[in-house]
Amino acid sequence: MAAVAGRMWADERRPIRHVDAMLLLVVGALVIAGLFLLYSATNQTLRQDGLDPFARVERHAVTAVLGLILVILAASFDYRFLKVYAGFIYTGVVVSLVLVLIPGLGTTDPTATAQSWFEVAGFQITPSEFAKLGLIVMLATLMSELRVSAPGLPDLIRLIAVAMVPIVLVFLQPDLGSAITLAAICVGMLVVAGARPLHLGVLAVTAVVLILLAFQVGAIREYQVDRLTTLFDPENSSETARYNLEQSLIAVGSGGMFGRGYLGGSQTSLDYVPEQHTDFIFTVVGEEFGFLGATFVLGLYALLLWRAIRIAFLSKDPFGTYLAAGVASMFAIQMFVNVGMVIGIMPITGIALPFLSYGGSSMLAMSLAVGMLETVHMRRFK
Amino acid sequence: MEKASSRLRLLALLVAMMFIALSTRLWFLQVLAVERFTDLAQDQSIRFVPVETLRGRILDANERLIVGNRMSLEVRVNRAEMGDDTEAVLQNLAEVLDVPVRRLVQKLATDRFFARQPVPVAEFVSEKVTFYIDEHPELFPPDVVEVVPTSVRAYPRERLASHSLGHVGLIEAEQFEQLQDEGYGLNDSLGRAGLEAVYEPWLRGEAGVRRYVVNADGEVIRELGVDPPVNGHDLVLAMDLKIQRIAEQELVAGLERSRSILDDDTARYLSANGGAAVVMNPNTAGIVAMASWPDFDPEWYVRGLTQEQRRYLFESRPLLSPSSNRATQFALSPGSAFKPFVTLSALRHGVASLGRAYNCPSEYTAPGDESGAIFHNAFPADFGYLSISEALKLSCDTIFYDWGWQFYNRWTSDQLGPEPFQKDLRALGFSRPTDVDLPFESRGVVYGAADAPKNPDLFFAGQWQPGGDILISIGSSYVTTTPLQLATAYSVIANGGRLCRPHLVDRIVAPDDGTVKNVRGHCRSLRYPKSWLQYIRTALTRVTSEQGGTAYLPFLGFPHSEIPVAGKTGTAERPGHQDTSWFAAMVPANDPQYVVVVMAEQGGFGAETAAPIARRIIERIYGIEPTTNIQREGTD
Repeated sequence: MAAVAGRMWADERRPIRHVDAMLLLVVGALVIAGLFLLYSATNQTLRQDGLDPFARVERHAVTAVLGLILVILAASFDYRFLKVYAGFIYTGVVVSLVLVLIPGLGTTDPTATAQSWFEVAGFQITPSEFAKLGLIVMLATLMSELRVSAPGLPDLIRLIAVAMVPIVLVFLQPDLGSAITLAAICVGMLVVAGARPLHLGVLAVTAVVLILLAFQVGAIREYQVDRLTTLFDPENSSETARYNLEQSLIAVGSGGMFGRGYLGGSQTSLDYVPEQHTDFIFTVVGEEFGFLGATFVLGLYALLLWRAIRIAFLSKDPFGTYLAAGVASMFAIQMFVNVGMVIGIMPITGIALPFLSYGGSSMLAMSLAVGMLETVHMRRFK
Repeated sequence: MEKASSRLRLLALLVAMMFIALSTRLWFLQVLAVERFTDLAQDQSIRFVPVETLRGRILDANERLIVGNRMSLEVRVNRAEMGDDTEAVLQNLAEVLDVPVRRLVQKLATDRFFARQPVPVAEFVSEKVTFYIDEHPELFPPDVVEVVPTSVRAYPRERLASHSLGHVGLIEAEQFEQLQDEGYGLNDSLGRAGLEAVYEPWLRGEAGVRRYVVNADGEVIRELGVDPPVNGHDLVLAMDLKIQRIAEQELVAGLERSRSILDDDTARYLSANGGAAVVMNPNTAGIVAMASWPDFDPEWYVRGLTQEQRRYLFESRPLLSPSSNRATQFALSPGSAFKPFVTLSALRHGVASLGRAYNCPSEYTAPGDESGAIFHNAFPADFGYLSISEALKLSCDTIFYDWGWQFYNRWTSDQLGPEPFQKDLRALGFSRPTDVDLPFESRGVVYGAADAPKNPDLFFAGQWQPGGDILISIGSSYVTTTPLQLATAYSVIANGGRLCRPHLVDRIVAPDDGTVKNVRGHCRSLRYPKSWLQYIRTALTRVTSEQGGTAYLPFLGFPHSEIPVAGKTGTAERPGHQDTSWFAAMVPANDPQYVVVVMAEQGGFGAETAAPIARRIIERIYGIEPTTNIQREGTD
């Protein structure tokens, strides 16, 4: 009986029985919603250009299927091995971030989100999206190896130094959005690791000083300043930046309580919102589904984050907790900054809305992140 | 992990705050400010394209077309967009339009339009030129040069009634501010003079609008709908095209003939440099014809005035002033043509009465006047005692001088209250606008004691003198009138005592349903006994038909028994000029259908220039075989 009981116990704890179905459902709902929003945002323009109105949707769906495969692969992989490979992963990320800066190898389009990418067989691979995961893994590894309950100042400096390398490299692309995300991941994980408020305060001040310094030296490009200042000084910012924000606000604002109906938004169907299918995808929700639709989507993100933080709680080992906390920080900051910029409370920076924005690398990186959450959840008992 | 879980709660709290911030902002945008953003979304995605309307036509009393519309392909240049290409574009335009560059530069160098308002540089260009411009955007950048089909005025009767009709022109910069509120656009035209200006709100019509949905690139996605334009109202004039033409032709011909008459006073030929003729229906106050010479061609304005035309219209010697309507804008002393109205006032106030006879000496000195001022009669003969009828026929000044003096005398002794003479004359419409439906009307003057302190230079010793009333009594110096005012006053005698508002337009007809709005004369009675008016009309028939009448010779051979003409000559001195020649007539005298007033500047005696013109006009209105050789002699 004991053997049977032992088997039962072991059976009970088999990872496959502990898939977080709710997490998968929420992500699935977001991805499917994203396909509908993407169709609304792109079909008119494609039609006008004489192309298949479903072209973008199809491509995005293919990436989503690839993403699902990544989720399964990542989930079936024991996350604890990540600790072993953390150094390699981190190094690989840093190297790719360096390579992408080299003209000829990497490509950049400063008019859009300013992310740099590698062109591989017709696909664009954006290393900064994957750098986020790499940083999470590296920091989680370092934090879980701390012997103290709260990191002291030297630990803190070491952790920050590790984070700063990809942050600076990404910043040089100059992908301000990813830099902010990486910084937020670092801060979020430090909070969970128990960094002292005083240290975090000093960190914040240093960050502000560094940002000011960057402005001074001119490391921040003119259009980035433009996008940032649009929020605070709409009269004096450049016309394109102001136009972006205006059109975005008009789209969301005109949605009202119930929205103008699917495919019924004039801002969306008449192509008034620039970059609508990528960074400004949330305007489609706002315009066509109104306040109710927008809060529904926010509700999905709330569920997602609840599940992520819950997984961090449930994990029995610190590494899993830090991994999940890092992923949660990443989802949270991207969601907040993206929706915030669309509705005019955050500066316009190129940050994708997880699972909704069109873009292969983002979708795949976010899928990997979900896979990481799942593997932590599935293996929480041992 | 106890600590870790409390730190995770902190993370969860931060995340919760994010959601609160986002949904609060969403509530503000989508629920509280929804209207503003909905309007903004609509404003930018819906384009309104105006649909041009047709301006109302102008028709004569028999609904014959005087002013219509036609299409013109107009080349417009947007100065604001020219930039560095200015020279090249102008060079190309000059070539294709076949005009000197200098001319284009002149046309563009105007401050009449806003900087961003396209300036028309050529009208009625051929389709060939239009295609050429459209097909060569590299020579003619589309944002700089545009060819616009536009509806412009058509004048099938050429110069006919040019002063009354006025013209239409593009809106000017200085007017735009206020007109914007009335729905005018930058490229709209509006009436600038004459009837076109006065009846602008009726003629204009209402532009239609086509609504399109456009995308962010300004491409039209679909049409939303159209409010069709409402064409302007048509004006049907009281004017009879034929009589208008007669008046214009006879005025020109009469002035021309007078230029070969030697003027006794100046020993030079008469200048006869300008004049006016008004034919009015005294019963309705409708203006049947109104001629002014020199005139111009309204077509000039359609094509844009050339330098020479502009100079001719506005800078010719002041005596010519071709753009002025002499029938309503020139007020001159009427001379003896004024006497019937002096008679009416004298009768009303007992200064004169119909049964009495009055002495007509060759000279007149005001009783008790020791200044030595002597007022002469027009001719140095003593006519003895005359009835009022004979005084009018012969136009005896001295009798009227005495009435003028008596008015002065009674005013000073306050027997008649404050200036009843001036009051009566003003009540007849002198020195006040007739309110005719034309802009820029001159009001003329009838001076009285109250004017002396205001214009001391005009009066001897800065005071109202007996001479003031004396000169007014023969229509001289202190009284001026436009031909139209005089015609309006003669209409009072002709129609039994009613003063009416003269009007060119008889009715305004709506374009779609033909609804009619009649324009009325708004007459009011001046309460003169019909017998007095009858008496004056009869007396005035003697002017033209009896030997000794001041217009007897110019009307010699006229069929008086068929169509009796009551008329009065006027010869008025005008400082620095030859005399102004006047003639006012009512035909037929027993039941007047027309009042005809002719004024000829520097035309000498009334009988020399104005009366012959009036006779010709009357003859042709009634289809009487015209007399070939009118005697142009006579007196005042």
